[in-house]
Amino acid sequence: MPLPQCATPTTTDWSSRIIPTLGAIAAVYLIAVPLAMLIYAAFRGPADFLPFEAGAQWTVDNVRAVFTDPIMYGEIIPDTLTFVAGTVCLTTVMALAMAWLIERTDLPYRGVWFALIIFPTLVPIVVQAIAWILLLSPNAGWINRLIRVATGWSGKGPVDVFSMAGLIFCQSLSVAPFVFLQFSATLRAMNPAFEDASRGSGASTWTTLRRITLPVLLPGLLAPIILITLITFEQFELPLIIGLPGGINVFAYRIYNELNPASGLPNYGRAAAISLPFLAMGLLALLAYNHAIRNAEKFVTVTGKAYAQRRIPLGAWRWPAYGFLGFYVGFAAILPALILLWTSLFGFSVPGSVPLDQASLASYRQLFADPLLWRAVRNSFTVAILSALIVTLLGALIAWIVTRSTFSGRWLLDALSFMSLGIPAVITGLAVMVLYLSVPIGIYGTVWILVIAYSYRLAVSTRLSRATIMQVHKELEEASEAAGARWLTTQVRILLPLIMPGLVSAFLLLFIIGMREFTLPFVLYSQENVVMSVLIWQFFQGGEPARSAALATLMIAIVLPLVVFARRYLVSRGAGE
Amino acid sequence: MLTVTRLEKSFATEDGPLRVIDGVSFTVPDGQCYALLGPSGCGKTTTLRCVAGLEEPDAGRIEIAGTVVYDSAARIAVPTNQRPIGIVFQSYAIWPHFDVFENVAYPLRVARPRIARGEIEDRVMAVLDLVGMRDLAKRPAPRLSGGQQQRVALARAIVRRPKLLLLDEPLSNLDARLRDYMRKELADLIERIGITALFVTHDQAEALSLAQRVAVMNEGHLIQEGAPREVYSAPATAFVAEFIGGSNIVEGRVASRNDARAQVALQGGGPVFEIDMEATPGETVNVLFRPEGIRLSTTPVEGGNVLSGTISASIFTGSVIDYTVALAGGLRLRVIAPSDQQFERGTAVWLTVRDVRGLKREHPPSGT
Repeated sequence: MPLPQCATPTTTDWSSRIIPTLGAIAAVYLIAVPLAMLIYAAFRGPADFLPFEAGAQWTVDNVRAVFTDPIMYGEIIPDTLTFVAGTVCLTTVMALAMAWLIERTDLPYRGVWFALIIFPTLVPIVVQAIAWILLLSPNAGWINRLIRVATGWSGKGPVDVFSMAGLIFCQSLSVAPFVFLQFSATLRAMNPAFEDASRGSGASTWTTLRRITLPVLLPGLLAPIILITLITFEQFELPLIIGLPGGINVFAYRIYNELNPASGLPNYGRAAAISLPFLAMGLLALLAYNHAIRNAEKFVTVTGKAYAQRRIPLGAWRWPAYGFLGFYVGFAAILPALILLWTSLFGFSVPGSVPLDQASLASYRQLFADPLLWRAVRNSFTVAILSALIVTLLGALIAWIVTRSTFSGRWLLDALSFMSLGIPAVITGLAVMVLYLSVPIGIYGTVWILVIAYSYRLAVSTRLSRATIMQVHKELEEASEAAGARWLTTQVRILLPLIMPGLVSAFLLLFIIGMREFTLPFVLYSQENVVMSVLIWQFFQGGEPARSAALATLMIAIVLPLVVFARRYLVSRGAGE
Repeated sequence: MLTVTRLEKSFATEDGPLRVIDGVSFTVPDGQCYALLGPSGCGKTTTLRCVAGLEEPDAGRIEIAGTVVYDSAARIAVPTNQRPIGIVFQSYAIWPHFDVFENVAYPLRVARPRIARGEIEDRVMAVLDLVGMRDLAKRPAPRLSGGQQQRVALARAIVRRPKLLLLDEPLSNLDARLRDYMRKELADLIERIGITALFVTHDQAEALSLAQRVAVMNEGHLIQEGAPREVYSAPATAFVAEFIGGSNIVEGRVASRNDARAQVALQGGGPVFEIDMEATPGETVNVLFRPEGIRLSTTPVEGGNVLSGTISASIFTGSVIDYTVALAGGLRLRVIAPSDQQFERGTAVWLTVRDVRGLKREHPPSGT
């Protein structure tokens, strides 16, 4: 039998050039083009003209108007900074305490606690925000009514969720589980031999904690802390739903306000001008994050390898631990779930004030009869699935280019995709809006603009895929090449099956992010492309809390089983951005 | 037949380009097994990867079985998948998502023109038979032991009947006992299929026992090439002597010379040795003693080539004892003695040197 022909030298496979090039172009299109449009728009005027519209011209009016506005210095900057700083402090303390209790102590029922702590990661923030308003609004909030009955307090309150403290509290409850996952991974990845070696050298437990444990863990803790900063900085839902009634004016809301002013036409130029400094701040925080990750990698505490940790016996301290975890889980997961279910059945009435047999499924019936619901369900799934698919595949391709190819612009591509982590969603929404208002390809107002807008979050997939590809020994691919396989054959038959678990977990994560997404569909809202999260908010704002709660309950009922089914993929990788 | 001519390769590093292969040339005749031997970082693996096409050289020429696969002057660079080769990787690179059969069948499945199913089946089973893995054909790859992985890797490398087999440290992933066994098996198999093979190793025992020809590399140069016995018994440089078999290297001065023999006095005094070498009186040369070429005794020995000293350290390794002997002049020599020759520390001993060799001090840049 003849050997497979070893013919005269041929040029390299076309597929090994074309496919990565297409991927690179797509990534540039999804991230760089809208951003370029945004910067362009900031310097075009006059107000309410689109940048390419006839009559628009170069101007610095937008920038001047934004930066001479006293509100910028009196409200937006101080409010944004207070909001971020407060959240970072509160979240770090809570998440670190929870991670330590779960990973390093003998706390009973750790699995149950773990599941309860990460449950809120599946719930859209709009839903959480509505639940917290139902619980803590100064007039009708359950908790306030309960306190007033118990203490005889008269008037409003005593707790007011519509305040800076309330906003920080809610935001911390909502970010904590993501950071908790990262802290847990860091604690789990610490080699106990470091501590054993310290004890073996004669150091006490306290000295070991101070001189070894904390310094070794510090780089691994820094990155999640910067991540809280980034997430909180770009947060839009809570400032809109909880901050606005409290007179809190952070930049994300401010951009939206320029696009939807109380009176007059949207001012694209000014919205773009406000975005610029905040975009810069987001990218700066991202640089710090990148630096922190590298530092952590240098310390090799983040190797993905888990060690069996020696657990510290809590003894009687487990009661305060239960108290703390119960408080967190109560406010972040259990009470919101209960109040949504209750509200969907009973409306605004409080338990005890109505007989239980007055429960009414009316709101569900109304909901199912509403064609808007089915449109929103279809849109939510279409956009979440398609964007997750695009980002997973594109991200994997970019990860491949960065780790495996010799393509000379690969660092740029890497930087671009990583940058997407630092771009606030509201800015992406604005950029995409301006872009497709200017480029008339007929997708403005459709679900397709949402698919494209959602797909800017390349970093999620690039980073997961990169870690997965790096775990695949290069020789596995070289062996395929040596066996005579062409480039594409090697990718499809060897690399793809080996990184499939990583791709599946990236897809799931992106699917959840897509289902939770509120900012982009809200900024780019039209009758046609309404999604579930936006509809929930519209019902609530339209004075229909029961229907809003019914839809929220329904949404959790759909997403939860899907995700629980796939949880092993996610949790085993500790992915949680 | 494999011909490598004046191969050059540099890698970019933070301190500028690092030359890892510097003008390496060699030829592996048909059906022979050729070993590249050297310490880590000597360029041997890079050379193998250039032959495989996994690394592109900067300059030179590579010809496999009459086909030029790389020629910098003619701008030829055949991609790996079109070279008639099979590779056994250091990590074995057994694909974890395939079972044994699929791993071995892969080179046939991707072959163009296509090979019929039945033929693939026959050829895979035949080659699995050859490596003794027929019964484990359906076993998933992650459940293979180290030795089994090595057999599968070998089967996969030879299943499409390549013209050249490349082996990158094929035994280094196995534990010591299995390594000895697999070494014999590998030697037997390579001989049975009569394939031309190039392999890379840092283990001199592996190279000397498996290969018909051995090339010692250091710092990107091919220092010496020859049959295993030749390289062992007549090292061209102190590096080769030290790397192969280990050696005591002592400075000496040529006192006088008659016929082809030089009389050399060691640096610390002692007797004058007669050595076969080209040297001029007054020249400083290196004198080499093989640790296993020295006999120890506690009673004085008469005659030439005898030194005296005391035992200063010993390491018992089972089959032999590795002694360090302090000579009167302050020199220390390593001596390997049979394990029945046990001496306490401080024992006075006489050393009869049966294998002594002289080397010029300057190191030629390349042996070929």
